[in-house]
Amino acid sequence: MPPKQILVIDDENDIQEVARLSLQLTENWIVMSANGGAAGTLLALSEAPDAILLDVMMPDMDGPNTLRVLQQQGITIPVIFLTAKVQPADRQKFMQLGVRGIISKPFDPLTLGQQIREMLAWE
Amino acid sequence: MRATWMHSIRGKLTAIIMLTSAAAMLLACALFVAQHIIDERHQLDMELQSFGRLIAAHSDAALTFNDRKAAEETLSALRAKPSFLAGRIYTDRGVPFATYSNGTSVAMPGVPRTDGIIRRDGRVEIFLPITRDGERIGTVYIVSDQQDLRNRLKTDAQSTAIILLVCLFAAFILSSRLQRSISGPVVELARVAGLVSRNKSFSVRAIHTGGDGDDEIDNLMMGFNSMLAELEQRDQKLVLYQTQLETTVAQRTAELTLANEELLAAKNAAEKAATINAKLARESALILNSATDGIFGVDLDGEPSFLNPAGAHMLGRALDELRGASIHTLIHHSDASGAPLPEKDCPLGLAMLRGEPYAIADDTFWRPDGTSFPTEYSATPMLDEDGNKAGAVLIFRDVTERRAIERLKSEFVSTVSHELRTPLTSIRGALGLLSSGLLGPIAEKGQRMLEIAVTNTDRLVRLINDILDLERIESGKVELTRGSVDAQAVMDQTREGLQSMADQAGVRIVTEPAAGSLWGDSDRIIQTLTNLLGNAIKFSPPDTTVTLSGTAGATDFTFCVADEGRGVPEDKLASIFQRFSQVDASDSRNRGGSGLGLAICQSIVTAHGGRIWAEKNDPAGSRFQFTIPLAVPSSVDASTIESIESATTEGQDSTAHLVLVVEDDADLARVMTAALENHGIRTFHATTGGEAIHLSRLHAPSLIVLDLGLPDIDGFAVVGSLRESATLGHIPLLVYSALDVGSADQSRLRLGPTEFLTKSRCSMAEFERRVLSLLATVPDRNKDEQNAA
Repeated sequence: MPPKQILVIDDENDIQEVARLSLQLTENWIVMSANGGAAGTLLALSEAPDAILLDVMMPDMDGPNTLRVLQQQGITIPVIFLTAKVQPADRQKFMQLGVRGIISKPFDPLTLGQQIREMLAWE
Repeated sequence: MRATWMHSIRGKLTAIIMLTSAAAMLLACALFVAQHIIDERHQLDMELQSFGRLIAAHSDAALTFNDRKAAEETLSALRAKPSFLAGRIYTDRGVPFATYSNGTSVAMPGVPRTDGIIRRDGRVEIFLPITRDGERIGTVYIVSDQQDLRNRLKTDAQSTAIILLVCLFAAFILSSRLQRSISGPVVELARVAGLVSRNKSFSVRAIHTGGDGDDEIDNLMMGFNSMLAELEQRDQKLVLYQTQLETTVAQRTAELTLANEELLAAKNAAEKAATINAKLARESALILNSATDGIFGVDLDGEPSFLNPAGAHMLGRALDELRGASIHTLIHHSDASGAPLPEKDCPLGLAMLRGEPYAIADDTFWRPDGTSFPTEYSATPMLDEDGNKAGAVLIFRDVTERRAIERLKSEFVSTVSHELRTPLTSIRGALGLLSSGLLGPIAEKGQRMLEIAVTNTDRLVRLINDILDLERIESGKVELTRGSVDAQAVMDQTREGLQSMADQAGVRIVTEPAAGSLWGDSDRIIQTLTNLLGNAIKFSPPDTTVTLSGTAGATDFTFCVADEGRGVPEDKLASIFQRFSQVDASDSRNRGGSGLGLAICQSIVTAHGGRIWAEKNDPAGSRFQFTIPLAVPSSVDASTIESIESATTEGQDSTAHLVLVVEDDADLARVMTAALENHGIRTFHATTGGEAIHLSRLHAPSLIVLDLGLPDIDGFAVVGSLRESATLGHIPLLVYSALDVGSADQSRLRLGPTEFLTKSRCSMAEFERRVLSLLATVPDRNKDEQNAA
C-alpha cells in the first residue's frame, strides 16, 4: 500500500515543519505543505493528496474560505481543520461547513497521525 | 315769638278752646246786639208812628176849625217822651200850623216832605198824613233823637261784655279740666317717651288715667304700651342674645386661642419639618442630580413624574418630552440593529406599568435625533409608607463604554489566547518530537528537561484555555444548552474520562449509584465534575479512594466529590473558589493546575442556578459539593407522568389548548378538569408544587390554574421557579386560591396574563369563563408543542 499523502496548509512555517516531521516520523506519510489558502488550493489540485490539514486563521484566505474554494473546484479530498479556536460554538460551526474533523492547536506530535486516522477511518 | 305755654299741648288745647269759645260768643253777642238794635229801632218807629197817628187823630178837628191852640195842646202830648225833640203840624197847603219843641234847637222843615220815616243826622223824623173822611187835610211831623236807643244799647253792651267774660272764664275752667282727657294721655306718652329715651329702658308704661274710652287716644296709648312691651321683649331678647353672643364669643375666643396655640405649634413643627424636608429635598436633588445613572419615575397611571439630569442627558429629552406617548414608543421602539420592536409585551413598558421589579442587562434606548445607546436598566416599584404602589422608578445606565471595554477585553483575551497558542503549537510539537526520541537519542538529563518543557507547555495551554473559558462564561457569552441530564450518566462519563489519570496516580474512584434528572448543560456539568474529580485525584496520595456520589433533594440534585487527601485548611474553604487561589503556592507547579479550575466550576454552577461549596471530609480530605436544579422533582412518581402522557396524547385534538390544573384537593381538581374538558380543553393535573414545576417544563401548557396552598412548596415558589424559564415565564396564569390575594402578593404571582379568583366567591361557570378568556390570549398551540418536545 503506497504511503498516504497529506497536505498541510498553515501560514506558520514552524507549525508546517512540526506537523510534517511528526507525520513522517510517526506514520511514514508523505507530507507537503503550503503557506496559505491560495497556494494550498493549487497544490491540492495538482497533487491530489489523501487528506488536507487546514489552518483556520490565515491572513490571505482563511480556512473556511479555502474549504469553500476547494469544494467549488469539486475537490472531495477530506479536510481536517487545525485550529486554535477551541470554543464549542466554533467547532459546531466548522463541522457544518463539511470538514471531517477538528484538531486543536497545540497538538501532540506523537498522536497527530493517530487522530487523523481515526477521523478519516483509516485503519 | 310765641309764648312758652304755646309749646305745651295743654296751652295749645286751652288756647284753641278759648279762641273757639270767644269767637262763638262774640258772634252770638254781636248777633244779639244787632237783633236788639233792630228791635229797638222798630219799637222806636212804632212809637213814632203811634204818637204821630194819635196826634193826627186828635188834630183833625183843630185843623178843621183852625184852632191852633188845640193843635198845640195836642202836640204837647209829645212831652211824654223826652226823646221827642220837636213836632209840627202842617196845613194841607203845607204851611206850618202848630209847633212843639222840647227846648232843643231843631231845624224843622218849612214844608212837609213825603210821608214816611227819615233818618238824618242821628235823628229819626216822620211825616204822617192827617185825614178827615178820607180827605187829606194836613201833615204831622215828629222828630226824635236816638239817645234812648243808644243808652239802652250801651247798657246792653255792658251786660253782654260781662256775660262774655263770665262765659269765657267758665269756658276756661271747663276747658282746663276737659282738655286733660286729651292732653293728659299725650303728656303721659311724652313723659314715658322721654323716660324711655332718657333711661334707655322699655320697662315703663304710659298710665291710662282718663276714663275707659275707646277713642283714638286710648288706642294710641294702648298701641304705645304694646309697642313698648314689644320693644321691651325684643330688648330682653336682644340682651339675652347679646349675653349668649358674649358667651359664644368668649367661648369661640377661647377656642380660637387654643386653636391659635395649636396652629402655632403646628406651624413651628411644620417649619421644622419644612426645614428638614428642604434639607432632604436638597439632598435628594443633589443625589438625583449627581447620580450618573438615569433615574426616571412614573406615577400609578404611567405618567412621567421625574427625570434626573443624567437621565435627561442620556435620553436627549426633558421630562415633559416624555409625556404624551408610551415610553416604549419614545425610547424603546427599535432594537440595537434598528429593527422595530413590538410594543406588546415590551418588558420596559410592562415593568413601568406594573411596577414589578425587573432588570434587563442588555437593551437599547433611542434618542429623538435617531441615535441610540446600549443600556442596562432596572425597574422597581415605588411603595408609599403603607406599602401601596405609588408608581415605578426606572434606573438606567449608558453602557456604551462598558460594552466597548468588555468587547475590547473579550477580543483581547481571544486574540491573546490565539496568538499565544500559535507559537505554543510549534514549541509543543518540537518538544514532543524531541522528547519522543524519534529525532535521535537524547541524554538522560536532556530527556528529563524536555519532559519538564512538555509538561509546562501543556500547563500553559490549559491556563490559556481556562482563562478564555472563564472569561466567556462570566461575560455571559456562553449560553448554557440546557436539557434533561441524567445524573448517573454524567458521573459515569466523568469517571471514564479520568480513570487513566487515577490509575496512574494509584487512586481508586468509587462512583455511588445515583438517580435524578437534572435541568442543565451536560457538557458543563461534566466539565465541573471532571475538574473536581481531577483535583481530588491530583491531591490524593496513592492507595486512597476518591468517591463520586449524588443525592436528589426536593428541587435540586447535589453532587459530592470526596477524597482522603490532605484536605483544605478551614480558613481556605471559602476562598478556594477564587481565581488563582491554591492552598499551597507550589501546588500549581507540582500538580499542573491553572489555578482557574474551581473558579470555572463556580461560574458554571452559578449559571445553572446552583451553588458550590467545600467542606472537610471525615476523617481526612475534603468534600466538594455543588447543586444543579432537578428537571423531575423527586416527589413526582413515575405513574403520574405516564398518566399525563396518555392524557395529553390519546385521541385528542393535539392543537387543543393544554391546561395544567395545580390543586391538592383531588375532588376539586376532578371537577375543574372535567369542566374544562367539556370545552374541548386538554388538561393535566399536579397535586404538589414540585410536580407542577416539573410537569410545566415537560408539557409547556397553554395555561396554568394554580392553587396557592400546596403540600410541598407554595404557589409563590412555583411561580418564582416558572419565571426563570424562557418558555414558561410568560404563559397565562389563573390563580385560584382559597383566600383573597393582596396587591403586593399579586405582583409576585404574575407570569404572563394573570388573573386572580377566590374559590369561595367564584362559581364554576365564572372559573370556566376566566379560563376561556385567558386562553383567548394564547396565539399558537403548535409552538408550545415544540417546546414541550
